[in-house]
Amino acid sequence: MRWLLSFLLLGLLSVVQAVSSSGNKLLVVLEDLAEKSKYSKYIADLEGRGFSINYESPKSDKVALFELGERAYDHVLLLPTKAKGLGPALTPKLLLDFINAGGNILLTLSSSNPTPTSLVSLLLELDIHLPTDRNALVVDHFNYDTLSAAEKHDVVLVPRPDAIRPDVKNFFRGDGKGGDVIAFPRGVPQELGNTSPLLTPILRAPRTAYSYNPKDEGEAAEDPFGAGPQLSLITTMQARNSARFTVIGSAELLEDAWFDAKVKRSVGLGGVGTDAKSVKTANQAFAAEVTGWTFNEIGVLKVGKIEHYLNEAGVKSNITNPKIYRVKNDVTYEIEISEYSWDKWVPFTPQAGDVVQLEFSMLSPFHRLPLTPTTTTKNSTIYTTSFRLPDQHGIFNFKVNHKRPFLSNLEEKNTVTVRHFAHDEWPRSWVISGAWPWIAGIGATITGWVAFVALWLWSKPVPLKLTTSGKKIQ
Amino acid sequence: MADSGSITESFFKGSSGRNTRGLLRLTILSLIAAAAISSRLFSVIRFESIIHEFDPWFNFRATKYLVQHGFYDFWDWFDDRTWHPLGRVTGGTLYPGLMVTSGAIYHALRALTIPVDIRNICVLLAPGFSGLTAYATYLFTNEMSTSPSAGLLAAAFMGIAPGYISRSVAGSYDNEAIAIFLLVFTFFLWIKALKLGSAFWGALCALFYGYMVSAWGGYVFITNLIPLHVFVLVCMGRFSPRVYVSYCTWYALGTLASMQIPFVGFLPIRSSEHMSALGVFGLLQLVGFVEFVRAGVPSKQFATLLRGFVLVVFAIAFGGLVLLTVSGVIAPWTGRFYSLWDTGYAKIHIPIIASVSEHQPTAWPAFFFDLNMLIWLFPAGVYLCFQKLADEQVFVVVYAILASYFSGVMVRLMLTLTPIVCVSAALALSSLLDTYLTIKSPTEPTDSSADAVNGTTASSKKAEKAAKQDGLRSLSKPLVGIYTTFSKTSVVSALTAYLLIFVLHCTWVTSNAYSSPSVVLASRMPDGSQHIIDDYREAYQWLRQNTPENAKIMSWWDYGYQIGGMADRPTLVDNNTWNNTHIATVGKAMSSREEVSYPIMRQHEVDYVLVVFGGLLGYSGDDINKFLWMVRIAEGIWPDEVKERDFFTDRGEYRVDEGATETMKNSLMYKMSYYNYGALFPPGQAQDRVRGVRMPEKGPELNTVEEAFTSENWIIRIYKVKDLDNVGRDHASASSFAKGNKKKKTTKRRGPKVLRVE
Repeated sequence: MRWLLSFLLLGLLSVVQAVSSSGNKLLVVLEDLAEKSKYSKYIADLEGRGFSINYESPKSDKVALFELGERAYDHVLLLPTKAKGLGPALTPKLLLDFINAGGNILLTLSSSNPTPTSLVSLLLELDIHLPTDRNALVVDHFNYDTLSAAEKHDVVLVPRPDAIRPDVKNFFRGDGKGGDVIAFPRGVPQELGNTSPLLTPILRAPRTAYSYNPKDEGEAAEDPFGAGPQLSLITTMQARNSARFTVIGSAELLEDAWFDAKVKRSVGLGGVGTDAKSVKTANQAFAAEVTGWTFNEIGVLKVGKIEHYLNEAGVKSNITNPKIYRVKNDVTYEIEISEYSWDKWVPFTPQAGDVVQLEFSMLSPFHRLPLTPTTTTKNSTIYTTSFRLPDQHGIFNFKVNHKRPFLSNLEEKNTVTVRHFAHDEWPRSWVISGAWPWIAGIGATITGWVAFVALWLWSKPVPLKLTTSGKKIQ
Repeated sequence: MADSGSITESFFKGSSGRNTRGLLRLTILSLIAAAAISSRLFSVIRFESIIHEFDPWFNFRATKYLVQHGFYDFWDWFDDRTWHPLGRVTGGTLYPGLMVTSGAIYHALRALTIPVDIRNICVLLAPGFSGLTAYATYLFTNEMSTSPSAGLLAAAFMGIAPGYISRSVAGSYDNEAIAIFLLVFTFFLWIKALKLGSAFWGALCALFYGYMVSAWGGYVFITNLIPLHVFVLVCMGRFSPRVYVSYCTWYALGTLASMQIPFVGFLPIRSSEHMSALGVFGLLQLVGFVEFVRAGVPSKQFATLLRGFVLVVFAIAFGGLVLLTVSGVIAPWTGRFYSLWDTGYAKIHIPIIASVSEHQPTAWPAFFFDLNMLIWLFPAGVYLCFQKLADEQVFVVVYAILASYFSGVMVRLMLTLTPIVCVSAALALSSLLDTYLTIKSPTEPTDSSADAVNGTTASSKKAEKAAKQDGLRSLSKPLVGIYTTFSKTSVVSALTAYLLIFVLHCTWVTSNAYSSPSVVLASRMPDGSQHIIDDYREAYQWLRQNTPENAKIMSWWDYGYQIGGMADRPTLVDNNTWNNTHIATVGKAMSSREEVSYPIMRQHEVDYVLVVFGGLLGYSGDDINKFLWMVRIAEGIWPDEVKERDFFTDRGEYRVDEGATETMKNSLMYKMSYYNYGALFPPGQAQDRVRGVRMPEKGPELNTVEEAFTSENWIIRIYKVKDLDNVGRDHASASSFAKGNKKKKTTKRRGPKVLRVE
């Protein structure tokens, strides 16, 4: 019976295998169901990856992000709508609550449909700024598609993005060979605030791109909303609870039309691409990566077990995770980290040039040590470090605070107490050579006293004699 | 009649008379002890068997730890639930005598198969020891006076004097509970040792001195008083082998005993407070040596030479002491010590000491309040000591002078004054009673020469001598006035009336002033019935039941022990004020703007903040009234960031209403105290009943903390510290968004654009 049940469970597991690490309930919000066909390939991709999709129109009564106070969906995909507002079920506050509750949101914008006000104010909260003109889109006179936008220059061709920093993992590189071209048709550029460390652009506009309002000429070209790489085409925001929020500037990017389209780039700066051929866009693969990242299919880290134990003189203590240590103890700390990659947990290795670090801190770190991978299991890496506790008692934290762009946040805190030496843990006095004079002093005093008493007891008292003057003499 | 007369005769005369007197004395002493114990039970009867105030809560918690984990664990106790995240080496920084005493009683009772809850032992320890104190006072006074009544009177006084009751009512489980007994008993043993010149009594004295050291920091009083006594005796030319033997025994053994307490450790040879004992010890050796040599060598010049030698040695020793102090081998006087000489010192240099109410100078009425008629009998008793100035009377005089000075400096030291006041008052009173209660008039009144032969009472003789010298006519026949029945009855009845009034006063003070547990506040309803305000325990219970076990609570240090004891939650600071910087950190968090406080609270992993607010009830001991101390203590560490001046208006007023300064209004403490307070009143009518002012119509707003709990009468308010905003906004804009305010779009950009770099 029992093994039958476990087989059943195993079977269930295999059914839901190829799916995001945080559930497969996806809500797609779009104007009306007929529009679905525009994105059929993209949706087929999603379904193929195991998402169970609900389609709702913002006008519908049934659309609700929360049900009885719990998240009703794991992920939300917002496709452009014509409506100016999104209705009472998708207010910025609810969307923010959805993120705070750990849900992921993929938001697509479109220059043909002005962004609903509720989304604008949500983006504003996240420090993502849209152009003040409703119809602004990004144009580039050097990197446009000559086949579809020879006149308007509003289909921008962008190569697959590089990593924002060398030590950051790049999930959006495709096969990594380069040469892929992403068509970004009629997209709304975003500008990112300087202060928020949670924002990371996936795709930035080329150097020559700028924001432009086709309806209102002259003035906008004088003082554009933004230009060059300052404009982000696809922006991500990973909240502190690792909920992901991605803005794709152009919903058209996901349409079937652009999945199949062939594009041919214009002549760029310095004569780049003079002999460009018409190539198929990489939109489909790229969209899968962006969506996969947003819906927790890649770049998700998980901590398995954390162990710390006494490791005095190379002898491992049998007690793991004790609540209390003593100052100057030798301890070992182990943490098991896995990374989710599309459908399975794999061992996590940080990008070259990056390390996982352990902090041993009270108010401020006393130690900040690199963790070295020691063991690799089928789906996790065990990182270890050994060190000597500082000579300071107090309440300390073993803290692993690994926050990197595009990787979900790891913040593990294990609190231990570090106590002082107990009264019987000090070396005994005769071991300390400095104490020998004092011990000798004690010995001398005792011997002297005993000798004196012996002398006193064994000496015969002399009878008192009185001198003539009446004084006592002995 | 005659029969009964002969019966009483047989009871009070001869050897059976001695037995009877002994039995009577025993009965009286037992009755005194019973009275002392029962007068301390008001709080238990009125309220319940509960630990009082602040420090007792820590002692209670420590005792529970001792009973639960055993002595060695207690000795090495590292407390990770106080002073988060520093922790406290509690085992090594407390006086363990009190806890060990109650632990021993607990285990003894269990061994006798009487299982008693440790709480009840702790609650009743102080009353129990007050009985012993009365007995110790009896023994001590008996050493001072030949009159049998003096000891009993002193015991009775000690039993009910409010000055001692104030620290020893049931539930007041503090170090003083046993320390006063030990103090008096050590003094008794010292006098005994000095009188007999006995090493045995000296060793006993050292033993109890060691016990005293383990129980209370006030042992320094003994450490200085006994050497001072000896020093005075030596200066009076009363050096004798008795002094030498008793002092050297006490000093050598007592110092060794005191060094066994981890908290004291090497202080007896390293700190200035203990140097007088060491110095007198050295002096005695020198004097003893000189005496010895003088006995052997008659030459007068040699004696002068020796005197010179003594002086030189003294000068060298003193110079060495100064040198060692300057070089830091011997710890210089601590701030607490300086504040004993200059009452303004603490306020300027160590606000943390000055902020404690019991460290304030004593107000004059307090002496009458705590000691009533004893305070005016006290000088008379001291005067009587001068009349027969033996070594032990010198002790009383020295003690009286020292203690009366110190009790004037610090309210708390009233406690050390009380025993000597009781003793001297008993000496005075017993001498009065002995004089006036003696039924027989002296047989021979007029002729002074016959007087001397017949031997009347010593006092009348003295009076006559004085009269002779003065030659005043009114004094030439003193016996006439004193020995009449009228004067006897009038004096005796007046004294009896005084004594009765004294008892009434003591009972009244005990019942009204000293029996409130201060954890529970009592008030009267209009119909006279008692109304209990139990906000403290309500709030601590809330914490205990609604917060995770390791939730760190930040509050002003006054409440640290209670939170640790009643709510069992880790605290940042508590009444053991060992780390001034940590307290100043809390002070800074309380007195700064939210934006400044929040990082401090996060760094210290604070989960909840607790404030005491009395504005609704008119409870004046609240945090807003203590607020200036927080500011001062924080200013001591961060003079650039926290300034006391900013909390006063331009006219120098400390205001909380509309006219409060911006710094005041923006401080976290102010905001937490008055948050949502206006909602209790009709708009614009909010009233602070402690400060007696009308609050501004618009109350403060809080962003980084949220209200978690407010007790029934708003005395305790608990706030939860918010986590960082999930999407990286600051708290002000996050809460503004939550309220539905739209963020203003930045339409106009000022200055050059700041580019974002990854």
